[in-house]
Amino acid sequence: VKIWLVAIALVMACGEPREPGVVLWHAYTGLERDALEQSAATWNREHPTTPITLVAVPYDAFADKLTSAIPGGNGPDLFIYPHDRIGDWSAAGVIEPIEYWVDDARAERFSNEAIEAMAYKGSLWGLPLAVKSLAMYYRTDLVDHPPASTDELVALGPKMHAAGGFALAYANVDLYGHAPWLHGFGGRVMDDDTLMIATPEAATAMSFARSLVAGGVVPADAQGPLVASLFNEGRAATVMSGPWFVTDIAKGVPWKVAPLPIVSATGKPAAPFLGVEGILMSARARDKDLAFAVMDALTSDAQATMRARVARQVVANVRAYDEPDIASDPVLAAFRAQTTVTMPKAPGMRMVWTPYRTALGEVLAGRADPAAQLLSVEREVHRYLEHL
Amino acid sequence: VTRDAADLLRRQLRDFGVAALLAIVVISTAFVAVRNRELASGQIELASRAVTAIASTPSAAAPIETVPPGVHAVVVGPATASTARPYLRRREVVDERGGSSTGRRELGGASAGADDKLFYDLASRIERDGGVAELLPDGSGRAIAGKIVEIMHDGSGRAVVVERSPAGAIAIAVTAEARPAPYPFLVVIGVLGLGLALAAAGGLVGGRAARLGSFAGISTLAVPALLWHAWVAAAVIAVVALAVALAQRAQLTDRLFTGIRRHKTALGFLAPAALAMLVLVATPFLIGIILGFYDHHHGTWTFVGFDNFIEILSGGGHPLDDPMNFWFILGVTVLWTAANVMLHVTIGVLLALALSRKWLVGRGVFRMLLILPWAIPNYITALIWKGMFDGEYGAINSLLHLFGLDDVSWFGSWATAFAANVATNTWLGFPFMMVVALGALGSIPRDLYEAASVDGASAWQRFRHITLPHLRPALGPAVALGSIWTFNMFNVIFLVSAGKPGGSTNILVTDAYRWAFERGERYGMAAAYATIIFLVLLLWTVFGTRIVRSKDADA
Repeated sequence: VKIWLVAIALVMACGEPREPGVVLWHAYTGLERDALEQSAATWNREHPTTPITLVAVPYDAFADKLTSAIPGGNGPDLFIYPHDRIGDWSAAGVIEPIEYWVDDARAERFSNEAIEAMAYKGSLWGLPLAVKSLAMYYRTDLVDHPPASTDELVALGPKMHAAGGFALAYANVDLYGHAPWLHGFGGRVMDDDTLMIATPEAATAMSFARSLVAGGVVPADAQGPLVASLFNEGRAATVMSGPWFVTDIAKGVPWKVAPLPIVSATGKPAAPFLGVEGILMSARARDKDLAFAVMDALTSDAQATMRARVARQVVANVRAYDEPDIASDPVLAAFRAQTTVTMPKAPGMRMVWTPYRTALGEVLAGRADPAAQLLSVEREVHRYLEHL
Repeated sequence: VTRDAADLLRRQLRDFGVAALLAIVVISTAFVAVRNRELASGQIELASRAVTAIASTPSAAAPIETVPPGVHAVVVGPATASTARPYLRRREVVDERGGSSTGRRELGGASAGADDKLFYDLASRIERDGGVAELLPDGSGRAIAGKIVEIMHDGSGRAVVVERSPAGAIAIAVTAEARPAPYPFLVVIGVLGLGLALAAAGGLVGGRAARLGSFAGISTLAVPALLWHAWVAAAVIAVVALAVALAQRAQLTDRLFTGIRRHKTALGFLAPAALAMLVLVATPFLIGIILGFYDHHHGTWTFVGFDNFIEILSGGGHPLDDPMNFWFILGVTVLWTAANVMLHVTIGVLLALALSRKWLVGRGVFRMLLILPWAIPNYITALIWKGMFDGEYGAINSLLHLFGLDDVSWFGSWATAFAANVATNTWLGFPFMMVVALGALGSIPRDLYEAASVDGASAWQRFRHITLPHLRPALGPAVALGSIWTFNMFNVIFLVSAGKPGGSTNILVTDAYRWAFERGERYGMAAAYATIIFLVLLLWTVFGTRIVRSKDADA
């Protein structure tokens, strides 16, 4: 009899409806998480009956968890994610279009590139929180000004090499790290829905990245932690990294941030990918009007200002930069001044990363010809696209 | 006579009861499927009629009743987009029926109605996609160009139909929430009673009539399925009925139940373990095999038959030396398994021989140290080795430096990356073989060696003709087990080389992982891979271990 009672209690517990409010998934850590928790606390004080429940989900598992949970009705109401999966998720009906609630007056507070990143196929799919791109960190004790061009950067190589170091360290095997050169040489990954992977410009960019490694300007196969330790030990004069790198820099290291150099061969600036983190709404959100009210509140002027102060986020709400202390923050200023290329959000984009990484690895090791590798990347991505 | 009759009746009812349980599961499943399909098509029918009505006859010209009750229909005019941000648009309802308001109004804003967001998004969607036919949840897809016809995915059971006129006006209809028909308890109880009566009547007569009664009684349960046109369900129940009748004739049911009664205690003890095996092993295994026949795309599964298996076994259009080709990966996997098992056994046996020497001081300490790699979780070991093989900062290249040798980019070429994987896994694998060999060595009778020494056998001859034959029976199963472990050693490959360079050091399991999580969530492909891995290992355990065993016989 006891067993039956327990079983019945279990069944009833499972059938219990969720309490009112909004569940928000995020992958923030450290200061960004603190800032988000502050925002949520502010909302919860003002709306005690419909609180925000924050759920931290590890970034590597985030997308998989979402795509399996939302269609089954078990996902969050809102979640924070970079814009590059919007094409995918909007086509699959995972996310909810929100332009119904948004007019020009509401959209004005965001920088144009940030809100445009949230738009896809004539609809708006989220409100932007912050933008992330790479910029150039440099040690002021090793170089007195950041290299303005790639020629200057390469010229810095021998001096650093003699001291057992490198002029520049960055995650060069990853497309994300390589993108500044790709765009600086005039290449692209895709344009709307069209793949533009195998182009002469992209091949030149890859050869350039290879020449940096072969010339000892850049360490081969450098990953995040290694880049940080090279910079902290003074063995890398400059580093290409994003806003998250600030917390990796050791105390006592004299550093500054500046936009990336000009690619000397083309005269164009090295342009990293721009990733826009936004709040997106699940297509199965329980109370959509309430969920949008939360999105709106979390991206408000006051919350954006707070996030820029607490987490030093490059917030998408430009009104935050009206505050003198935020406008004068040199790190935020450098990232805002950086020329970028918005990361493509067409469904095929997420198929590009892995093959591109493989190709970069082969070329940087000097084993393969860039043009042939790029062609095989494009072919492989095409094969996946046929499936989509 | 009466006792016999009562016994016969009891047995008859027992057989009927078991079959009826099965039949009820079948007809309930059939009922739910039929009910959902009928509900969906009924709802869509209503919405379609409303859309046609509102699109062809504007409110001004026709009475309100042209829309079926409960259906909310609107005509949405062309959108006006913001000049600065074309993705922000205002939309207007120009005609409305079945809702709370009528006449022109803007969608959204202060006067937002309950369905306004839905209408707005559907209008955007048909403008964006030009209308695509969606597969209904029950699988009865309708291919209608320029139209959206679907059941909403939120569990409300509402149907929507959207149609765009050439002029740009969009007609939308959405039905009210619909609850599916309740479960027909009365019908089921009725047929159960009728079936029971038939079976009992047969039982009372006995003999052939009993079997006839069973067949007729169970078959009665197929009648509701026939009424719902659920032919498969009806056929299944008829087969069950026939099977029960035939089993009764061979007295199989009696034997089965006597057996169960006799071993009641034993079965009671077995039940929890059997249940756990069923839930934790058999069910996932079966589901895994079934998924191999499906294609996954954003949470929807489509049956594709053997397509996944064909794509895998044909190499997917890649040449044989391409790391994406299944046969290439299989070759790497076999090589990987063979190299590892050979090294594990050789090193394990050598160390066991050394440890079994009586004169060795501190044998206990050495044994403990040598077993240690086995005791550490293998992913930690794998990560440590990966760090040691690092091209620029790894311990192994630093060692090479000490001897004045050049750096090796370990994950730069296939041979060195493969060697790094094998080195890591050998470190992890030899202690097991060593422990097995140690145990076997301890059980070899001392006098055999003494006798051999007396006969003048050399140390090699003693090893070859005494030690080795005695190790074989213990090492055979260990090799079979070790080869299966190594074949599926995900952690080492995934963490140490991660397939570098260019995916060429992947083995089958790590490639299956990539299909599931790195190549667009193709879970079906991953499941098909897993099934193929299972078949390969099954063949190996059935035939491969037989080869090992036959060698024993030779020796």
